Amino acid sequence: MKTKMKTSTFVIIMVVAILVAAYTLMPFFLVCINVFKNANNIVANPVGMAGMSFGQLTTNISNVVNNSNFNFWYAFGTSAVITILSLVLLALLGGMTGWVICRNKAKWSTAVYMAFVASMIIPFQVVMLPLISTFRDVGKFIGIPMLQSIPGIVFAYCGFGGAMTVFILTGFVKTIPYDLEEAASIDGCSYEGIYFHIIFPLLKPSIVTVTILNGMWIWNDYLLPSLMLGQNGKVKTLPVAVQAFVGSYVKQWDLILTAALLAMIPMIIIFLIAQKQIMAGMVEGAVK
Amino acid sequence: MKKLFALILALAMALSLVACGGSSNAGGAADTSAAPAATGDSSGTTLRLVNGKIEVDAQLKELAAKYKEETGVNVEIESMGGGVDIQSTIKGYYQAGNMPDIFVNGGSSDFANWDGLLVDMKDEAWVQDTDAEYVDDNGAVIGFPYTTEAIGLAYNADVLEKAGVDPTTLTSPDAIKAAFETIDSKKADLGLDAVVGYCAEASSLFWSTGDHLFGVYIDGGTARDDTTYIDMLNDGGKLDEARLTDFANFVGLLNQYSDPNLLVSGTYDQQILNFASGKYAFVTQGSWIGATMTADDADAYAAAGNFKVGMVPYAFQDGMDTIMTNSPSWWAVYDGPNADAAKAFLQWCSGEEGQDILVNKAGFISPFTSCEFIASDPFAQTIADYVAAGKTSPWHWLNKKQGIAQNYLGQVFNDYAAGKLDAAGFVSTMEQVCQAAYAN
Amino acid sequence: MNENTAGKKVLSLVLLVGGLAGLIGALAMDFSHSPVAFRGPLLIIGAVAILAGLYFYPTLEHHRSIINFLFVFPLLFTFAVTVLIPLGLGIFYSMTDWNGVKMNNVVGLANYGAMFREAGFLWSVLLTFLFVIFNMVLVNVIGFCLALLCTSRLKGVGFFRAAYFLPNLIGGIVLGYVWQFVFNNVLIQLTASAFGMRNSVLAATPTAFAAIIVVYIWQYAGYIMLIYINGLVTIPGDVIEAANIDGASPLATLFQIKIPMIMATITICTFLTLTSAFKQFDVNMALTNGTGSVQFMGNYLTNGTQMLALNIYNTAIAKNSYALGQAKAVLFFIILACVSLIQVRISNSKEVEA
Repeated sequence: MKTKMKTSTFVIIMVVAILVAAYTLMPFFLVCINVFKNANNIVANPVGMAGMSFGQLTTNISNVVNNSNFNFWYAFGTSAVITILSLVLLALLGGMTGWVICRNKAKWSTAVYMAFVASMIIPFQVVMLPLISTFRDVGKFIGIPMLQSIPGIVFAYCGFGGAMTVFILTGFVKTIPYDLEEAASIDGCSYEGIYFHIIFPLLKPSIVTVTILNGMWIWNDYLLPSLMLGQNGKVKTLPVAVQAFVGSYVKQWDLILTAALLAMIPMIIIFLIAQKQIMAGMVEGAVK
Repeated sequence: MKKLFALILALAMALSLVACGGSSNAGGAADTSAAPAATGDSSGTTLRLVNGKIEVDAQLKELAAKYKEETGVNVEIESMGGGVDIQSTIKGYYQAGNMPDIFVNGGSSDFANWDGLLVDMKDEAWVQDTDAEYVDDNGAVIGFPYTTEAIGLAYNADVLEKAGVDPTTLTSPDAIKAAFETIDSKKADLGLDAVVGYCAEASSLFWSTGDHLFGVYIDGGTARDDTTYIDMLNDGGKLDEARLTDFANFVGLLNQYSDPNLLVSGTYDQQILNFASGKYAFVTQGSWIGATMTADDADAYAAAGNFKVGMVPYAFQDGMDTIMTNSPSWWAVYDGPNADAAKAFLQWCSGEEGQDILVNKAGFISPFTSCEFIASDPFAQTIADYVAAGKTSPWHWLNKKQGIAQNYLGQVFNDYAAGKLDAAGFVSTMEQVCQAAYAN
Repeated sequence: MNENTAGKKVLSLVLLVGGLAGLIGALAMDFSHSPVAFRGPLLIIGAVAILAGLYFYPTLEHHRSIINFLFVFPLLFTFAVTVLIPLGLGIFYSMTDWNGVKMNNVVGLANYGAMFREAGFLWSVLLTFLFVIFNMVLVNVIGFCLALLCTSRLKGVGFFRAAYFLPNLIGGIVLGYVWQFVFNNVLIQLTASAFGMRNSVLAATPTAFAAIIVVYIWQYAGYIMLIYINGLVTIPGDVIEAANIDGASPLATLFQIKIPMIMATITICTFLTLTSAFKQFDVNMALTNGTGSVQFMGNYLTNGTQMLALNIYNTAIAKNSYALGQAKAVLFFIILACVSLIQVRISNSKEVEA
């Protein structure tokens, strides 16, 4: 497009772009101004700036953070531990699985691959009810609680995230020339050594992709933790805590909006830091 | 390579360690809430109580603190309210092996969920001290009464006085209609937004309409042992059409004179805050709002002059002169490892220290005869007067089929309020949904 | 080297035997319902020891197979326990009177019959299809327009792209409540002062449904936009330049060059919106929780805005009909499987053409 755009066209495009941005950012803006107000001011005047004060913000935050029904830091920590453990395990195990599948053209490896890929169409709803009873029974049987426990839910995320992770990573391993591995093998590198020394370092960009995709989903997921951990159980993730908190408070918007803000902040910070990677990763995950 | 493998091993080990930690915790409920050190130290058990009255969350935590001070036993209060389907949540807890030790149950349909899982408390001392305990069909005492509640059409006595309306005369639909008209004409002088604060929002206030107000249809004006209309309802969802039509006309009156900003999409907070601020002459909530008015909304209530309140009957037919009272729900003890500790806690609650907080702080009206405290609750006096005069009806809404209010009735009230149904449509739709609800 | 091999062999055997003993011991305790608390950890340690023993087993012949097994097993195991077994059980349970804990009778297809006689469920199915169609069209059109916007000569493209994408980062529960606030507290003030409309848009079924669509587009259009941008930038610049030189109008360039060249992207986006709209749950739950009245097939229904995923959830969890909920879920699965198969077909035929 070497042709110069007319000024009027440019103005129209800018105006449209700004209006759309105003619309997409409006809810965030409303949250941001209303956390500075007390409940009565929010209800009376949700749009304007009246009644805003920093003192009220700190009051709201301390009310939310110190609310033992919400238990913000605990929920935040639980969400973080669950997400990080799941992501580490998925990246590690997914890469290993993807590589083995890709480098073994046997019936079993094709079958495993097909099972993973086919399972991507399974909606969560069809497995959620038996999943809970299975996990409860397994937990009782082996003496390690699988429900209401962090290991149990990390295990489940490995199971649910495995399919997409393997799919994307297998696709990437295919693009790595086999010569590299043969050369390493001739140099005396062991079979598993090839993976850790040659393949894994090369996989890093696509591991970033799957980590972003899985991370967004696991951090925001509500249904699986609400079923596995209980709607207000001892272990709760941030989305479950927000739901329990909102449900239990008869629409106290000062607390709800502050809780929403606190729940959004980590995601937004990570987005601001790794904007490019996140957007690229999301696209790559969809296009693959 | 070895390093990475070792890392995997270490991770697996770490996971299993976390698992061990998890399993050893499972019994002891070491929640990392406000007081981290204290929970670990107290050698005693930790009881978990699921409370259904979110409005007294703070007071119950005070009760728990007092009990811990006296006995060292930790009681965790988990409050749910508003739009939460408490029974479903607890069923979820049961599924997940996370049962609370004490939890709230609203009536026969709630208790039926826990058949065989609750402790019979008939040998407890408190049972001799009350006649409000919940007894199941087999004679087992499985519900501890913690309060008495009453519902009538609550009013702001100052406003009625200024408007020249005598509340004692409001025992017929015509009288109430006339009073509404009088007050409506003087709205501006009285500083009112609307005559009535009636809210028929369906997704989180279904209990106010579908349970409480519909309970007025069931029991309005009846004698305490009268179960005619609840029995009809439980017999396949039958309704008395003439009675329901009168009720529908009365609700129409509420629709007409309610604050339009509140009527269809309002919230409980808004409803009570506006009443406490003196903006409504009447409000369609019961005695429990006293606690909200004197706690959360204390500033607004004080600014409005801490006016006197009272209740008039929901007189949708001539001569109805009773308000409805009931134990709204009971605390049941789950038959688990902490059952004895839970029973001890309830016994303590019925005693002086417990009642001191429950009555004087939480504003509950004690169901225990030995209790000498009188709640400072704004509504305590009016309820005492009705009880003394024998002008109370039962309140059987808890005995209808579970989930009807949430799944059906609340929505019908909402449609009526929004003008999508007229009075006749309200009646026919009510008949239709009640039948449908009892059919499956 | 030899010594090393011997040492490895001993280590391997010790681990294998020890692990096996631990595993069997733990399993024995499990089967005898022993209350010993360490039986769980023992089981895991046993299993890990066996895997480690396998790893150290000194064999050249089978080394590759062992590593293959060790690499694939962990993920495949979690996958089997969380997806495959529950899927099989779920299809089986849908034909029983399962109540979430145990089942007593096999009832054949009775649950499937019951669900098609339930007007509320049929309404949910219909509503879900409506929702999917609306969203598929709207999200794609809006996402594509935003992509055109962001690939035009715009100042601060980076900012706009991020601003449009931002809603996609936030979980459905949190943003559902934020939007509930917007509709019930903010919008209502505007409509009340402008038109005297004092009821929230969430109070009436049609407007509440529209509200869910609006929120969904808000959340999803930015993501679809990114994929379209990705497609648009792959169009070679000289093609467009050539069109410009030939004097093609911008509209003609759009319809005759850009859109045909990104058909593959359009297919991807269409199916992406389709499947994710089908699965919509969080926003539906947080925004309206399915409330709203509607007159449908001669019944007065109160689940006016309840879509399929939420209907399944409520049937099982709130109404405690696990088997019926499971049967609905299986139907849901079949619908989605058909959609996915069609997608694979279309993409494959496209690839052949291209």
